[in-house]
Amino acid sequence: MANALDQAVETAAAQKDVPLPQEGEGSVSVSDNQRDTPPDTPSNPPNGTQAGTTASAPPASNGAKGTNGAESPPAPEGKTESKAPASKPKGKSTGIPEADRNAPQPALDPAQFPPVELNGRYLIYPSMALPDLNSPQAMAYAVEDRRESGRQLFALICKPGLPVRTSLMRELKAQNINGMIPMADFGPVFWGPIDQTAVAIVFERPLGGRFLDTFGDRPPRVSEYELAKLLIEPVAHAISELQAIDFAHRAIRLDHLFFMDKERRELVVGECLSSPPGFDQPIIYEPLNRAYAMPSGRGYGMSYDDMYALGIMTVFALLGVNPVARLSDEEMLAAKAEFGSYQCMCGNERIPMTLIEPLRGLLSDEEFERWNMEALDHWLNGQKKTPIQRRPATKPKTPFKFGGRDHMTTRSIAHAFSKNVPEAVKIIKNGKLDQWVSSSLGETALADSIVGVIANCKVNEGSPDGADDVLVSKVCIRLDPHAPIRYKNFSFLTDGFGAALAVEYLRKGNFQIPGEILARDLISFWVAAQSARTPDITSQERTFQTLRGFAKINEMGYGMERCLYELNRSLPCQSDLLRTTYVDHIDDFITALDQVADHVDTRSRPMDKHIAAFIATHFKYDIAPHLKALSDKKEETSLIGLLSLYALMQWRMKIPTLYGLSSWLGGLLAPAIGTYHSRTTRRRIEQEIPALVRQGSLPELFDLIDNAERRHVDTTEFDEAQVAFAHAEAEIESIVGEGVDQNKAALQVGERVTATISIILSMIATAVIIFVQTM
Amino acid sequence: MAMPKQPTENQEERRKRGRSNLTWFLLILTFLGVLAGPTMVVLCLGMLPTLVALLTDRSKQKSNSLCVGSINFIGVFPYIMGLWSGINDFNASLVIISDFFNLLVMYSAAAFGWFLFLTMPSIISSFVLVLQQRKVAQLRGEQKDLIDEWGAEVAAIVEVQKMEKKEHHMEHGMEM
Repeated sequence: MANALDQAVETAAAQKDVPLPQEGEGSVSVSDNQRDTPPDTPSNPPNGTQAGTTASAPPASNGAKGTNGAESPPAPEGKTESKAPASKPKGKSTGIPEADRNAPQPALDPAQFPPVELNGRYLIYPSMALPDLNSPQAMAYAVEDRRESGRQLFALICKPGLPVRTSLMRELKAQNINGMIPMADFGPVFWGPIDQTAVAIVFERPLGGRFLDTFGDRPPRVSEYELAKLLIEPVAHAISELQAIDFAHRAIRLDHLFFMDKERRELVVGECLSSPPGFDQPIIYEPLNRAYAMPSGRGYGMSYDDMYALGIMTVFALLGVNPVARLSDEEMLAAKAEFGSYQCMCGNERIPMTLIEPLRGLLSDEEFERWNMEALDHWLNGQKKTPIQRRPATKPKTPFKFGGRDHMTTRSIAHAFSKNVPEAVKIIKNGKLDQWVSSSLGETALADSIVGVIANCKVNEGSPDGADDVLVSKVCIRLDPHAPIRYKNFSFLTDGFGAALAVEYLRKGNFQIPGEILARDLISFWVAAQSARTPDITSQERTFQTLRGFAKINEMGYGMERCLYELNRSLPCQSDLLRTTYVDHIDDFITALDQVADHVDTRSRPMDKHIAAFIATHFKYDIAPHLKALSDKKEETSLIGLLSLYALMQWRMKIPTLYGLSSWLGGLLAPAIGTYHSRTTRRRIEQEIPALVRQGSLPELFDLIDNAERRHVDTTEFDEAQVAFAHAEAEIESIVGEGVDQNKAALQVGERVTATISIILSMIATAVIIFVQTM
Repeated sequence: MAMPKQPTENQEERRKRGRSNLTWFLLILTFLGVLAGPTMVVLCLGMLPTLVALLTDRSKQKSNSLCVGSINFIGVFPYIMGLWSGINDFNASLVIISDFFNLLVMYSAAAFGWFLFLTMPSIISSFVLVLQQRKVAQLRGEQKDLIDEWGAEVAAIVEVQKMEKKEHHMEHGMEM
């Protein structure tokens, strides 16, 4: 299976933290007059950092930048093996970042891996890979449509475990989106090469190939006159139509555009279904607040975020190169934070007059200022719009030195703090930060709030709430409330917590850090730091309070597993028992478990924390009592809870028979049968179980095991038996008990009997004497 | 210097009750003496062994006294009947008790009572022991049946009681 393993999907990689150089590593302060535009050469990077002194990770400028310079972490035990994704040497000359796509795989033997059927219609060929159409998190394969032969299709096989956008898939199955690659169908398939069930998504095949491939080795440059018609308009259509169904694409980038026709006239955006929103986007395509988050924590986003990506893409297409290619990700983000995205990207470039206005609008860092569809439509239709005047951020009197750099904005400081917690703690605790905020920025309210955070952490010193990571995280939130929550290199926006949680579990196999985030209630702190309480924020706060409640309960059906499924409703059940299947819907769950019963060690229980949490999340009936019983320390109570839960599910879902599960549970019920005191009752139940197992009825089985009347009779009779036993024991004790002199007692009885005999004799004799005398 | 022990309430009560019993006994005896003097003379002298048995019997049940008294009464009763059926005065009663043979009959009866009390209980007790062993075996059998049907936990109450008893004994021992 070596080849199959090679084909195995990689574990999603986390955003690698780029360590910042320490003080004294050649940092040079930049005078104020140098701060009007971002630097254009490595000799003069933003904030004076010398090129090459910052990042230990390969800089994005070296062509094909990985998804945020990701590195593959070790795969957790039992999880899919991790493999570093291959990067394409495409952008080397232009510096335009591309998402890493899987490298071509060695061909598989068609005899060993026959075609896989999807939904009874599509045949997917594992032996016919289409590496050109690979997505970063999914491999492409040839597809045959059984109903329409000759139809040009391909399928993407998604990484198992990575949350895919099932809700959007359902929408796309119902309706096509103009300007987006058409999806034909989707569904789970058992994928032989990785020996797991994965989601397959079937698309119409783009016959014209990738947009970037049309340029060959030339820079992908589009003239200003063609740009709107060729690129902006179709992408805008896609964004607009997705917005209409309340979705954002979040994977709009230059290397993800395709021509649907051979003539290369119809341009479409590639798929955005095989990974969480924004997961595969190179950092440059993401608006600042989302770019600061790790890939999995970037959140669902909105059409505003797509508009920003469209703006960045337009700049690349217009210039044919990445204007900030020489900057590392960190430098690029710092430049965007300080000068604004438009200034950072276009400040040193010659932008045609006609495009200045839309680019300024699309690249606005403020969401409320960024161009929406309406504004873009107006522009496409030739109508003028008042240009956006960028309001520069308040400039400090003196720059704030940290990590060998001069920081001019609180946003940049917050980001730097999150990357270097030990140093940040020193600076925060010695009061330099609040002093600078108060004196240099003039933000006394912000300074006071930072002092408050420090004081609060001091009060909780020694407890987890007073830990350095918490302090830095809270200070970062205060400094940049719109940025992601950052805690121990786990950075996310509130709408991205679900995907971040899922990927974290996929990577590490535990929920340690997200659990700490909930326990420390950092999200409530973030909500409190927001200047405006939008309905979205209020709703998120409520959600997180609920999740916090779940996380606190260390019982079956709760804990972090429950949070995982509550936040990722389309995520398949991650239980090891269902590893080879794909169960993302409660209706399929119990039947899947029934089928699994034939292939597992039936001494184990058909239950674990993931299964319980999955059921608790998706099953609409109240199962709190069942979960309580399930979590009981007593094995027999727990087993009865388990049986009652599955019996309820079979009954409510009207599933006629579950032979496998009945047999599995039937074999586990010995401790539950043991809850009856009467051996006769136990034997009778044991004799009846096989018949009920053959019926495949869990409710019947449950009724046999936990019949109220039978249990009442058993309990009553047991109580009576206890009393009878005690009476017998008391009687025995009175005869041969401790401290009883049996001989003495017998002698006393003898004496009593003798006395009685004497009295009787006396009475008889007296009667005889009286009789004789009177005769 | 050790303090003299204060009599407990129970002892005081018993003493009072003893005193009142004696009072009643003497009252009845006086009443009977007045009502049936001759009979009482024969009865008192004829039943002297019973009185001795009563005084020497320290057991609670007074089985010895009852045994001796009952048989002794068989020896005395014919003479009382003679008294009642013939002349019933003090002279007649004095004639009866002054006859050595009569006294021999009365006291022999008492002696037979003594003999019964000395021999019978040990014979009966051996029978009782056998019966008790059979009873214990039967009860143990019943308990075994209960355990077979209901498991060892059916004896849980008994075990708890035993434990409590043990603890109580230990506490009591500690107090001592």
